[in-house]
Amino acid sequence: MPLLINNKTIPDINTTILYTSEYNYTLDTIEYINKNFSVIDKTNRYQITDINEDILKLFNCEYLKTKTNLTLIDTIKINILSNLEASNIIIFLNVLTYLDLSFKKELITYLKDHHIRIINYTTDIEESLLLEYIIVIHDNKVIMEGKKEDILSEEKILKKLGFNLPFIVDLSLGLKYYNLVNEIYFDNESLVQKLWN
Amino acid sequence: MRILENKEKNKIYGLMGNINISTNNNNYRIVSFYKFNDTVKNYLNSPKASSALKMVMLNDEYLDKTISNLSTAEIKKVILAHALIENKETLILDYFEKELTNAEKEYFKRLFKRLVTDYHKTIIIFTNDLSYIWEISESIIYVDNQEVINTFSKNDMEILNCVAAPPISEFIALLKNKSIPLNDYKNTSDLLKAIYRLKEN
Repeated sequence: MPLLINNKTIPDINTTILYTSEYNYTLDTIEYINKNFSVIDKTNRYQITDINEDILKLFNCEYLKTKTNLTLIDTIKINILSNLEASNIIIFLNVLTYLDLSFKKELITYLKDHHIRIINYTTDIEESLLLEYIIVIHDNKVIMEGKKEDILSEEKILKKLGFNLPFIVDLSLGLKYYNLVNEIYFDNESLVQKLWN
Repeated sequence: MRILENKEKNKIYGLMGNINISTNNNNYRIVSFYKFNDTVKNYLNSPKASSALKMVMLNDEYLDKTISNLSTAEIKKVILAHALIENKETLILDYFEKELTNAEKEYFKRLFKRLVTDYHKTIIIFTNDLSYIWEISESIIYVDNQEVINTFSKNDMEILNCVAAPPISEFIALLKNKSIPLNDYKNTSDLLKAIYRLKEN
């Protein structure tokens, strides 16, 4: 049984759901029969005691054990870390945007290494670089979907919807215009390597 | 913690750090997400409702909507409209830009500047996204453990030692690690020109 969101089959690949701000994703119906999935939002629903010690250490979050006045960022981290061992798939409802990039990258690496499928709802186009597939939603309709590299090449459509390109894609396009590179890059290291190898 | 102590009024300030925002000051209004009851019209409850909605990129069609018909971004916009009607001296925006597209973020930056110049407001933008506040803030206040640790002028790159770097700064840091001589730039077009000059030489 595939993962269904609003009766639409979501491909079996780590996916960014990039939506424009009028989209009420809280009404989405998510079905994934006979599999465990977790939906992570901003509500305070887990305790620090729900998290395995090794996980806390791995993500440098041991400080949370003694913290009394939890912030939104702390709550989101607890929600995420409480679910790492419970699910085959984790659906993030626009929460990764509150976390710094190093935590996000560490988290995505952990989930990929442990074969936990990721669905990330976001309006932050920089986050679309983290996963392999993108579904773009506007006005309750799927406007386009496909591999990250293909969707992020659709500059005109993305700009019309109000999105900029991710920094590294934008920079690559500029460098391509100046004939300094001849393709679009999706990560810093590859572009730097190409420019100064 | 007195974040605005010794700070000039009628300016935009950035506020960063892992804290909860609260205030006892009656001249301040925190604009953060919460679920109001009733229709937008009754929540705003003002003859200025229509013009306030327009200022936050919504229209009169929203007046009869209830919270269940609104997206998270639209709820935040309505809460900002309510704060504009209240007309407090200082607005504190609590992660307001989350859920917005880039085009909307740019619109609201222009609105905040207008609120300062035309309506003499003081605006504090609380965020974890330095790139969102870098250009428009008079200075950026960094707090931790309920204490103001430092206040950085907008051109002070030392702030990158305290908060997560925006993508452009991460890229420049990578180049500097390879001993490529580059200044710190805040926008892609300046960086692009600098790389072009370096490669041409």
